[in-house]
Amino acid sequence: MPDQEREKAVAPTEMPSKPPAVAGTEAEGNQIFFGESLVGLDSTELNGNLIVIEGMDGSGRSTQIALLQEWLESEGFAVQTSGLRRSNLVGRDIDELLAKNAVTRLTLALMYATDFFDQLEHRIIPALRSGAVVLADRYIFTLIARGVVRGINRDYMTGLYAMALRPDLTFWLNVRPETAFGREFKKAQAISYWEAGRDMSLSHDLYWSFVRYQTMIKREFEVMAKLSGLIELDGEASVSVVNKQLRQRIGEQLAIRSSKYTPSAALAHLWR
Amino acid sequence: METQDTAVKPPRPDATKSTTLPQPGRPVPSRAYPGALIVVEGTDGSGKSTQLYLLKRWLEIGGYRLHFTEWNSSPLVKSATRRGKQKRLLTPTTFSLLHAADFADRCERQIMPLLQGDYLVLADRYIYTAFARDAARGCSHRWLRNLYRFAPIPDITFYFRAPLDVAVNRILSGRPKLKYYEAGMDLGLSYERPESFKLFQARILEEYDKMVDTDNFVVLDGTLPVNKLQKQMRDIVASKIDLKRFAPRALEAE
Repeated sequence: MPDQEREKAVAPTEMPSKPPAVAGTEAEGNQIFFGESLVGLDSTELNGNLIVIEGMDGSGRSTQIALLQEWLESEGFAVQTSGLRRSNLVGRDIDELLAKNAVTRLTLALMYATDFFDQLEHRIIPALRSGAVVLADRYIFTLIARGVVRGINRDYMTGLYAMALRPDLTFWLNVRPETAFGREFKKAQAISYWEAGRDMSLSHDLYWSFVRYQTMIKREFEVMAKLSGLIELDGEASVSVVNKQLRQRIGEQLAIRSSKYTPSAALAHLWR
Repeated sequence: METQDTAVKPPRPDATKSTTLPQPGRPVPSRAYPGALIVVEGTDGSGKSTQLYLLKRWLEIGGYRLHFTEWNSSPLVKSATRRGKQKRLLTPTTFSLLHAADFADRCERQIMPLLQGDYLVLADRYIYTAFARDAARGCSHRWLRNLYRFAPIPDITFYFRAPLDVAVNRILSGRPKLKYYEAGMDLGLSYERPESFKLFQARILEEYDKMVDTDNFVVLDGTLPVNKLQKQMRDIVASKIDLKRFAPRALEAE
């Protein structure tokens, strides 16, 4: 859909109110960014809403985002999505680095940061400027957690993302690693090297490597949930239950009155 | 290239930190490794690369254990940088991050292992290039300092200072056409590339000058004759670094 059309379709009536005290860094004064302003950005023009869904592999993020997109579009909102490794600048380069598995933790963390800011500047911000709802499939929290569990200093990681926009809402789909393992395995009949955190030499056993790695990530999320006010949802619940909770909070944010939604035939298979 | 973990020598008695292994995101205590790091910095056309080359030749001929590293030389992010430049996708932030990723790769896989392995490391441009250039593009100093916190602090940083006109003329006379980002065209300072380049270089020079005291630069006059400058450089290296430790004889003595 061209941007102009989107703008007309959305036309939000009010500026989103930014959640208070969402602090990932020491700087508290800046309400739009986590700490520092992005170079050359006029932040007064950001009329859309940034909604982030976080959670480990197998927590149900992608499913929920597909459903939310359909729901929001049926309510007349233009939707843009973002996610890890989707930037034009370095998305494919990261894929290659991961495939070759010959990259150090710091380089990888910085490549992910490049990927993040490229999408922020070229995808998320333009969409917010046109008044769209951005559904982010993961955000800085996953990236910070991955760096920290690999021994990169936490302040370093949060400092790196000081110019990230503060989301209007951030949800954390919390699941047990054991549940996530089952779901991920079902998807591909395998667990990837990186999902299992094999680079960290936690265990030669794939299952235990996955569980230990994802448990470490989960602990980081618990810390960040407190610090940054993430909204924790029980990812073990059924798709429809989680979806209802998401729609409730997002509906409040966007002033959508009716909360009814049934997925179309195309997405019905996700609904269980 | 040594990529495997090199055994780290215990820190010398005067080391204040107990850390022996570098940790990303923590400043590396300068005595956490036995090697030494010599860096040259300066604007384009300041003569720094020529001088470092001559220093390297001097040390090579003397048989010292050394390794030479350049800014922006790892194949890792080359395709991304090329794509970003061709399609003009790069913003000040992503430009900076991509170079940091490149540097991190070199730092973790070359510079740190070599310093730990007791080598003399010569670097043509270092993190100060990023500080000057990215700050000239508008990145915040605080953010940049954090970004490169993992980099070991050099034993000597030579700053080749040449007046703006001299440096700019050296570049403009030797190059038919300036590239888009090289000329700082992304900053919108001027429609004319040579003019934009000049304004951009002026900003970079200003940023370099600010670091002379804060980062202990050894300032050298880039307009001096090449051989005179080289003599100064060699004298300073010999006085500040215990070169004997890097000579082949030192190995046999151990």
